[in-house]
Amino acid sequence: MPTLTIPWGEADWNAILPMTIVALTPLLVIAADLLLPRSVRRGVVLLVAALGLIAAGIAAARGWGHPYAAFGGGFIAGGFTIVFQEIVIVGALFSLLLATRLGRDDQSGGAIALLLWSASGAMLMAGAANLMTIFLGLELLSLALYALCGISARATAREAALKYLILSSTATGFMLYGMALLFGATGSVQLSAFGAPASPALFTLGSGLFLIGLVFKLSLVPFHIWTPDVYEGAPLPVTAFMSVVTKAGALAVLARFAYAALPQQDVGAILLPLWIVAALSMIVGNVGALAQTDMKRLLAYSGIAQLGYVVTALAGTTSLGLRYAIFYLAAYMFMNLGAFAVVALLSHEHEEGSHLNAYAALGYRRPVLAAAMTFFLLALAGLPPTAGFTGKLLILASSVDAGYGWLAVVLIVGTAISAYVYLKIVRMMYARGVGAPQPARHPASALPWIGVTICALATLVLTFYPLAPSDVLPLVK
Amino acid sequence: MIAALVLLPILAGFASYLMPRRAELTAKWFGVLIAFVCFVLAYLAYGQSDESLRWLQRPFTANFHVGLNGLGFWLVMLLTLSTACALAALRVPRQRDFVAQMLFLLGAMTGVFVARDLLVFALFWDLMLIPVFLILIAWAPGRSTATAWRYLVYNLTGGLTLLLATAAYGVVEGTTDVIGLSAGHGATAIGAAWGIWIFAGYAFGFLVKTPVWPFHTWMPDTYADLPPPAVAVVSAVQSKAGLYGFLVVTAPLLPEQMRSAATAMFVLGLVGLVYGALVALVQDDAKRIVAYSSLSHLGLILLAVFSGNALAIAGAAVYIIAHGVFSAGLFVVLGQVEEREETRLVSRLGGLDAVDPKLAGALHIMVLAALGLPGLGGFAGEILILTGLFQAGAVWPAAIALVPVVLAAAYMLRLFQHFMHGPSREDIPQRADLRPAELLALAPLVIAIVWLGVYPAPVADSVSKSIVTSDLSGPKLAGVRR
Repeated sequence: MPTLTIPWGEADWNAILPMTIVALTPLLVIAADLLLPRSVRRGVVLLVAALGLIAAGIAAARGWGHPYAAFGGGFIAGGFTIVFQEIVIVGALFSLLLATRLGRDDQSGGAIALLLWSASGAMLMAGAANLMTIFLGLELLSLALYALCGISARATAREAALKYLILSSTATGFMLYGMALLFGATGSVQLSAFGAPASPALFTLGSGLFLIGLVFKLSLVPFHIWTPDVYEGAPLPVTAFMSVVTKAGALAVLARFAYAALPQQDVGAILLPLWIVAALSMIVGNVGALAQTDMKRLLAYSGIAQLGYVVTALAGTTSLGLRYAIFYLAAYMFMNLGAFAVVALLSHEHEEGSHLNAYAALGYRRPVLAAAMTFFLLALAGLPPTAGFTGKLLILASSVDAGYGWLAVVLIVGTAISAYVYLKIVRMMYARGVGAPQPARHPASALPWIGVTICALATLVLTFYPLAPSDVLPLVK
Repeated sequence: MIAALVLLPILAGFASYLMPRRAELTAKWFGVLIAFVCFVLAYLAYGQSDESLRWLQRPFTANFHVGLNGLGFWLVMLLTLSTACALAALRVPRQRDFVAQMLFLLGAMTGVFVARDLLVFALFWDLMLIPVFLILIAWAPGRSTATAWRYLVYNLTGGLTLLLATAAYGVVEGTTDVIGLSAGHGATAIGAAWGIWIFAGYAFGFLVKTPVWPFHTWMPDTYADLPPPAVAVVSAVQSKAGLYGFLVVTAPLLPEQMRSAATAMFVLGLVGLVYGALVALVQDDAKRIVAYSSLSHLGLILLAVFSGNALAIAGAAVYIIAHGVFSAGLFVVLGQVEEREETRLVSRLGGLDAVDPKLAGALHIMVLAALGLPGLGGFAGEILILTGLFQAGAVWPAAIALVPVVLAAAYMLRLFQHFMHGPSREDIPQRADLRPAELLALAPLVIAIVWLGVYPAPVADSVSKSIVTSDLSGPKLAGVRR
């Protein structure tokens, strides 16, 4: 009788420990949901989920400085992976803060569990270094989100879920086909083995299809059409989650593909369409946001443009560019989730505070909340004194440095348009006599205040201490 | 100490929100007190050694580097003084919130003038837009926010090109910690390929902010819609930030590009000079008269900045400060008129000096300073600039520049005459004259105007300390001044 040997050792399991924690916590969540009385259920479920994420965050941080290619090179643990995993974890934690009203009472455990599984998929993508693990992570991330998108009682929720399912599956199809071609061109699924493809034409085609799949996940132009509808239909915490965690996972794969997989001599040619996509996103996203009357749709369009800024930082695939992309992604996470937390605080029992009318004269009704929102909007617009300002400056510098001055100019134009978008809301909050006085409402929960406070502090501190992790690049490969 | 000049007003701005909303008078005098404390602190901090903290190491070196000397010092003095006087002399609704915004503005603008690093300069440059934007949306008369948008769109576009230029400068030079250095003293002149674009980015930001024709269209509406204390500070100081930028940032760092742009700038300056004066002649709204007169006066300073003549540049420094003082004074007095008569239209007012002689006297002094009466601040600046222009060989521009200087007398006296002289109008309210506190608030501005008129040397010398005029062709200051 042949003995079954497992070829992986302790080091391999250690490398995926943070992800394992996030993937197993949902089991506890579901158990708690089953066994506990209704009165404490939601609170305990949220607490268990948050503790699981924090434990995973600590486990991930402990791996700093110990790069290791686990599972035969399928998952690379180390600086790059850790940074993205921490972004995913923090993003998921802040989404949990908004999730006190996610789904009906009997759905909350399942919803939180799905959210965590989705996060574990993004964490897998952060370290995935071959086509199989990339696909595994992507599907884990997406499948849970399909269900989450449809969970609210809103009329648009099912439409959003269906739209997301169909369009995302199509994009996944593109990506799979691209992966097949990449495998055909190189004879390997390992990103590090892509250096010298046997068939360059096939390789270029495969890369193109693969990138289309990623660009869809990043919701960059021209594959962005789904974003506003899905963001609007999905419940607020899920929208917040998608706006950061999905993007972080996809960006990790994109960066690894651009920096570690593509042959050096072809990088410029293969990725040129990507820079054009980034440029289009910065313009189209901001122009699209101009006409929105719903905060979630507006933030969807703004996210399209913001991810355009992040991808701009990668232009020229320089080492500094990767650091600034990560820095801007982290800054974007704080300012965006801060804005979402304010939206959550404006929500009440049956209505999400996402219509722009809810912001009329907010500066006179709830001054502190309005001041916080102003701060996050200034950050999104890239105005000082916020991390958005420092982040944009760093991106400008790196793209000028890498010889992509035209992208820097497009970024400036996009920023000028975006200022109108964001400051329009500031105007609504502080202009006199706009809109009728709103009745006093009790917010659904005070929990988002924690998110507002931490995000505001982080956005301010990152302005003056732009912590860009220094040793991420050697650990991409 | 210098960093405190920036941080104190910003923190005090937040602190003022802790006061009850109804404590209007407390809030007002709190704002005056903070501005006055900043004035004293700035005076004490003059020439103290710079303060610096590391900000960025990559992609270029940038430091939170602040220093207080030269022209920047005088602009900070002007800023703190005009903020204190404007807040003391005038009333606005929702005083507490307004004081907070004015203190934010004070801190942000101080940051612009003490910055010794281009990136810090760019940060405060963009930051100073936000309080003005908020004041425009929350305090402008009427419901329209079009003025606020126009202000924002123009100035933010300028701010963004300036930011892009800063990033490019940092990438090319490896550091942005260069303000106050000059070519040959640490900073190197930038090559032609990059220099022209970097200069264009800065110049656009400065031209919009000053504003210079044809980028001025945001300015008259903004000045008309801002509440009086805010417009006094914005016209006195914020509009000088562009000229300060030309003198302190681009002149030392990009001397080649300054020289090659001189002809174009002369044209823009001259057009603005004549156009502003002509439009000011026919305006009905007194605030717009002063706004267009600013366009005219600042055009003259732009000529001086680009003349490359040391005497003209010394005159520019004097006129920058003097114009700040008398335009702050003019807007404060116009605000006091409007508080009493509920209008500021030239055609609706008349005969005020019979009822309000003190108000008339105050307006008289400001008007005389604005039209360049010898012995007051405006004259000292104008005569230095015009002499310098002739000396630099720019005879025709100087000759053209004389015409609007004469026209200034016409529109300023028209304003004064319609407000104060003639028969008393029956259809406007008769209100009490200036109270002692209001007179006291104007006194520092009057003293400053007279002082600049009779003894402008400290301000004139400030340029030779902070700006290396030898980079621009022309005779040395020292040989001419005596």
